[in-house]
Amino acid sequence: MFTCKQVSKSLQQKDYKKLPLVKRMFLQLHVKLCVFCGKFNRQVMENQDICCHYRKHEEEILEYTHPDSVLNDEHKTIIKEEIAKNLKSDLEG
Amino acid sequence: MPNVEKENSNIKQPSEWVDLYGDYLYRYALSRLKNPEVAADCVQDTFLAGIKALDKFDGRLDIKFWLRGIMRNKIVDQIRKSIKSQTVDISQEDEALMESMWFKYSGIATTNPDPWEFNPRKQFDNKEFWAVFIECVDHLKNPIKQAFVLKMLEDKTTEEVCKVMDITPNYLWVLIHRAREQLKGILKEKWLNRDSV
Ligand SMILES: [Zn+2]
Repeated sequence: MFTCKQVSKSLQQKDYKKLPLVKRMFLQLHVKLCVFCGKFNRQVMENQDICCHYRKHEEEILEYTHPDSVLNDEHKTIIKEEIAKNLKSDLEG
Repeated sequence: MPNVEKENSNIKQPSEWVDLYGDYLYRYALSRLKNPEVAADCVQDTFLAGIKALDKFDGRLDIKFWLRGIMRNKIVDQIRKSIKSQTVDISQEDEALMESMWFKYSGIATTNPDPWEFNPRKQFDNKEFWAVFIECVDHLKNPIKQAFVLKMLEDKTTEEVCKVMDITPNYLWVLIHRAREQLKGILKEKWLNRDSV
């Protein structure tokens, strides 16, 4: 079994889902049963789940939550010019 | 000029990148860096670095994700830069928390965190939930936001984040705890009151 500190340490280092299955099971068991750290570390895991799901679906989520966050025309023009300049200097160099 | 078209006809030329991937990368950068000018610069730097490194592109990834990989490094650089100009101060409250017996003994910041009043895992398919989540992330203030972005969104290791932010692992743990508490608080409030607005 793990101590509370080991559980916290482990969660601090890594997403619990990335742990080897056996370790993950012991961790989940500890959190389920421990009256001291249970609530705290359970919420740490919950938060890791939320962030993990977000990372996986980020492109889609940002597309529908921020449809108006786009490069404005001025930025687009400047960046395109910079790219053209760099392509040209690549050609010459 | 690098011409990868010979090897793979699906790969788009750099002259098309702005129209094809510009908005996607910009949104990604903006969600982490907040400042529209800084985010736009980040996109530009990414494209220019991409042109330089194009001969290293092996076509295994979609070029869009390859460019995003370059941009993730640019985002970390950007955060490192802003921390250099404004080092992270540890608040008294955080200092006291780290000195507390309980934290030292168990690594637990609070034994009795506020409960969620709904199960966030059950909302993962709900678009509205993510809209609120993103809004909450926007609300976080530095250095809590920087810690959250690097550790939780960019999925960097503790060592990397501590190096970039020049803080100890214990303090990173406290910052992530603050982020978690704030996110839960705002999410809960916004989520439970969303119909009454
Ligand atoms: Zn425990």
